[in-house]
Amino acid sequence: MNIVPSRSNIDAEIAAARKPAAAMIEIDRVSQVFRTSGRQDHLALSEISLTIGDGAFVSILGPSGCGKSTLLYIVGGFVNPTRGVAKVKGRAITGPGPDRGPVFQEFALFPWKSVLGNVMYGPRQQGVKSADAEAQSRALIEMVGLKGFEHFYPKELSGGMKQRVALARTLAYHPAVLLMDEPFGALDAHTRTRLQNDLLNIWERDRKTVLFVTHSVDEAVFLSDKVVVMTRSPGRIKEVVDIDLPRPRRRAELLLDPHYQKYVVDIERMIDDTSVEDELRP
Amino acid sequence: MIAARALIARAAPWLACLGLLGAWQAAALIINTDSFPTAWEAIRAIPSILGDKESLINILASLRRMAIGFGAAVIVSIPLGLMMGRSRAVAAFFNPLLMVTYPVPKAALMPIIMLWLGVGDIAKMLVIFLGVSLPVIYHSFQGAKAVEEKMLWSGAAMGLWAPQRMIRIVLPAALPEILTGCRTGLVLALITMVTSEMIARQSGAGNILFNALDMGQYDTVYAMIIIIGAMGIGLDAAFENLRGRLVKWSEPGFEIPLSFA
Repeated sequence: MNIVPSRSNIDAEIAAARKPAAAMIEIDRVSQVFRTSGRQDHLALSEISLTIGDGAFVSILGPSGCGKSTLLYIVGGFVNPTRGVAKVKGRAITGPGPDRGPVFQEFALFPWKSVLGNVMYGPRQQGVKSADAEAQSRALIEMVGLKGFEHFYPKELSGGMKQRVALARTLAYHPAVLLMDEPFGALDAHTRTRLQNDLLNIWERDRKTVLFVTHSVDEAVFLSDKVVVMTRSPGRIKEVVDIDLPRPRRRAELLLDPHYQKYVVDIERMIDDTSVEDELRP
Repeated sequence: MIAARALIARAAPWLACLGLLGAWQAAALIINTDSFPTAWEAIRAIPSILGDKESLINILASLRRMAIGFGAAVIVSIPLGLMMGRSRAVAAFFNPLLMVTYPVPKAALMPIIMLWLGVGDIAKMLVIFLGVSLPVIYHSFQGAKAVEEKMLWSGAAMGLWAPQRMIRIVLPAALPEILTGCRTGLVLALITMVTSEMIARQSGAGNILFNALDMGQYDTVYAMIIIIGAMGIGLDAAFENLRGRLVKWSEPGFEIPLSFA
């Protein structure tokens, strides 16, 4: 198991980023300014520094509008930071690449492709032979629990099923990092819980590095090795909390575990504090 | 019960046609004037038109011009509309141009075009081209603009570079909208085809119609209207059929049959 050593403040994060540890993602003093129609530019992210170790499951947690998705888009290479550098495997990120696979809340499936066509898309693009890509994709579709739906179109699937397809489609091209942008945010509570369990089971098999954006505290604690709590406007890292709960995690056991409950309560308090600070700010 | 309903739904457009012909027949019998033949008289004149080699050549010439004008317009307009939908700069350049040309009836340009290019095929095909272009550009533009950013990001993460994303993501994602534009364009092609032949009389389906009008052969005039109308319905139905097969993956649209397809 590869849990990143405990760190509690941002300075230590920056120091760690400079060391050539087994870091998968290094975010170094990244700021993001958005031009707005008004006179003032909006500072969405301010001086964010964060290191994510290889194989770690890290959640970014914060109120809506704290720039947590923007941070994920910067790591994905979809958005260029205004200042600072983000690196993956020690190389500066200049654009999207198959080493970082996104899974979006909106699913973003290709509606003109069947489930199989969607999952095969990445491997085919990477030059995998059709027959091989199909075999791999069928196995992935079975792994996410959609065996029998290979030839369905996205419009024929429920939200939860669509997100399963999206996950399989991203896993199919073997990214080193999974970038999950509130992936279960659009799903009902029951479906959400099932997908969380399934995601953990899948993740246990190969322990990819995961960067997971969410605004749900218990989702973050349940899934992660490390929870990064952010404040709103400008988006800053308030605290990085290591979640020392044993794996593999079982939901039913965890919900009764006082350690789990304490993490949830502590983090909820942190978020409450930040909200009050926001309101008090002129 | 369901089968009966499906049968009625299928028969509905044909029943509507029969109803229209019936109303026409009744109106013509009541009004009873030379310039308004009955539906039956008009229908009776159809075989003699379609049996005449000269007329057939005219009609086929019309269809050929229409096909070329329509085809050229689609080939040019789809890429242009898609690029406008994805690039602010391209849209900013072409938008004013299109806004200016949009309200101008394309047939109104016919006299100028005839002045430049003569009364032959080229002038007529150009007018058809212009008539078809705008709806196809507009719908391609709308379709491309509506493509989800995250879908393009997903493609980019898989390693598709910008031109590939245009062809392999924007084009298929916008296809339902593009084909809606093409369907409108197809009907406009037929309309501009007939009007162009009305203005530059030389050959074609429109020419037969207006010559007959000049000579007071009213049954032929109405028969030609039926023939042109039937061509429109037939082309539209064929196109709808093709469209339905190309975008069967898309969200279902209208439940009510809006075509004969």
